[in-house]
Amino acid sequence: MRGVRAVLIVVFGLLLIVGAGDAYGAADTTVIKKGAQRYTIEISSLKQVGGASSQLFLRTLEKDLVYSGWFTVVPQGGALKAAGTCQDSAGMLKVQCALQGVTAGRTYFRRTYTGASNRARTLAHELADAIVLAVTGKPGIASTRIVMIGKRSGGKDLYICDADGQNMMQITKDRAVCLSPDWGPDGASLVYTSFRGGYPDVYYVDLSSGRWKRIAGYPGLNTGAEISPNGREMVLTLSKDGNPDLYVINLSNRRLTRLTKTPHAAEASPSWSPKGDKVTFVSDRSGAPQVYVVNKNGGNQKRITFRGTENVSPDWGPDDRIVCSSRRAGRYQLSIVDLVARKESQITSEYVDHESPSWAPDGRHIVYARAEGYQTEVYVLDTMSGPPLRSLRLTTLQGDWYAPAWSPK
Amino acid sequence: MIFSRTLKCVALLTACVVIVSGCRTPSTDLTDEGLLGFDDIDAVDGGGIPLGARFEDGIPITDVHFENVLFGYDSFVVESSQAAKVEAVADYMRRSPEVRLVVEGHCDERGSRDYNMSLGESRALAVRAYLVGLGVDGGRVQTRSFGEEQPQDSGHTPEAYRLNRRGVFALFR
Repeated sequence: MRGVRAVLIVVFGLLLIVGAGDAYGAADTTVIKKGAQRYTIEISSLKQVGGASSQLFLRTLEKDLVYSGWFTVVPQGGALKAAGTCQDSAGMLKVQCALQGVTAGRTYFRRTYTGASNRARTLAHELADAIVLAVTGKPGIASTRIVMIGKRSGGKDLYICDADGQNMMQITKDRAVCLSPDWGPDGASLVYTSFRGGYPDVYYVDLSSGRWKRIAGYPGLNTGAEISPNGREMVLTLSKDGNPDLYVINLSNRRLTRLTKTPHAAEASPSWSPKGDKVTFVSDRSGAPQVYVVNKNGGNQKRITFRGTENVSPDWGPDDRIVCSSRRAGRYQLSIVDLVARKESQITSEYVDHESPSWAPDGRHIVYARAEGYQTEVYVLDTMSGPPLRSLRLTTLQGDWYAPAWSPK
Repeated sequence: MIFSRTLKCVALLTACVVIVSGCRTPSTDLTDEGLLGFDDIDAVDGGGIPLGARFEDGIPITDVHFENVLFGYDSFVVESSQAAKVEAVADYMRRSPEVRLVVEGHCDERGSRDYNMSLGESRALAVRAYLVGLGVDGGRVQTRSFGEEQPQDSGHTPEAYRLNRRGVFALFR
C-alpha cells in the first residue's frame, strides 16, 4: 500500500513540475491582483484651527491613508478631497470633515469626530478607515492592532501594537514561555498558549478588563487555539487521546468534536474560514508538513498545498485566500492559495525566512515574521502594491518579534 | 508488489504522455487531492493511548538521570539505536512503583513553532507508547511538549540540532 502511495505522489509531483511553466513561471514573485487602483486625495482643505493635537491628527490621517495602500496624498488636484476643520480647544479635539469626490462630483459623507486631545491618533484612524470604506467598500486597517510574541531579556511574552507599529504594549508577564497568540472575533480579547501552569495550556484574556482565564488544560498538549468567527467555538490542537489532533470546543457547553484522527501524524496551526464552516490546518500525514482544509464537523479533508517541500502556518483570509509559509529552495516564502480561483502564487522571493503570516481584515495586507541571521522582526506586506510588493518593518524595539496576528477589527 | 510495479509503469507512461503532449496546465486543481488517498493511513505507532489525569504536585527526583532519546529530522520514530535508553527507564519504572514520569518532547529550531509543538508532543507520546509497550502503566506517564522553545544547545549547527531533537525523562515521586 505504502509503495502504491509513494508512486502516486511521484506522479503527482511530475504533473505539477510539468505544469509549473504554464501556471506560474516567471510571474512567481509578483502581484496577486494586477493594476490595483490608487486614488489621489487632498487633505490640505482640512483646515487646522490651532492646537498641537490637530497637527498630530492631520499627520496621522495622511500616514494612515498612504499606509492603506489605496491612496496617494497630493497637495492639490486630487480626485478626492477631505475638507473641513480640525480644532483643538480646552483639551478637546473636534474634526468636521466632508469627503468629496471631485471628479465624480459627489459627497461621500459629512462627519464630526470629537474626543479628548490625547485621542488624536485614534480619531484620525477612525476617519481614515471611514474614507477607505466609503471609497473602496473595503474595511480599513488604521484602527486595527497586531498581537505578537516579543522575546526580550529572556521572557517570551505577548505584546500588542497599533497597525502602524506605534504604541507597543506588553500584555503578559507569565514568567513562562508564551506562544501562538490570536484575537477573539470581537477584536478585544486574545487566546494564546502559555506554560505558566507548567504545561502548554490555552488562556483567554479580555483586554478591556485585563481578566484572564485558562480555557483548555487537558492532559498533554493544548495549543494553536483560534475562536470561531461567531465566537461560539474554538479550534485547537489537543493530544489527550494519545496523538496531536484537531478538536473544536463548543465554548458554552465544553463539548468536544474531533476533526482529525491520524494515529501516526501530527496536526497543528488551525485557522477558521471567514464563514466559520471550515478550518485550514497543517498535517504531516504525507510525510512532511502540508496545508489541508476540513469541514468543522471533521468531514471532507483536502490537501491544498503541493508546491514547496513544506507548507506551514496557514491563515484563512477574508476573501477565501489562504496565506501560508512555504519552504522553497531552503527558505520559507509566503504563498497564497486562492480557493475561489483555484490557484497558488508565491508572493515573496527574498532569500530570508518569511514566517507565520496573518491577514489584515482588508484582505490586502499581511503581517509576518521575517527571520534573517537568527534575528526576527515583524513586517507588513501590501499584496497589491507591486511589483515588487512593498514590505514595511513594524518592530523597532530591541528583541526578537514573531508570531504576529492581525486583529479582525 | 506486482500490482505496485504495474502501477509504476502506468504512472511513468502517464508522466511521459503528459510531458510529450506539452500539455495544458494540469491541475493544482484542489479537488485532485484524492490522488494522495490519505484515508488509508496505516496505524503503526505512537499514539492512540489516551493520557491519564495530570499530576502537577510531584517532587522532582534529582539523583536519577536517564539519557535523552534522540530523534531524526522531522521524525518522531524511536530509532532502534535509542531503544536501550527507553528500556532502561522502563526497568527503573517497574522497580520503582511510586515513581511517575513526564516525557518532555523537544525539537530543533527549524520549522514553524506551532508545528514543532505538535511534533515535540508526538515525540513524547512515541516514547510513552514505547514504555507502555514494555509494560509500564500509562497512567504513570505524562507528556509535555516544549516544541523548539527550550533548546538544550542554543547553537545553530547540525550537532546542536541533533541534541535538541530529544525526549527528556523528568521523574517525580
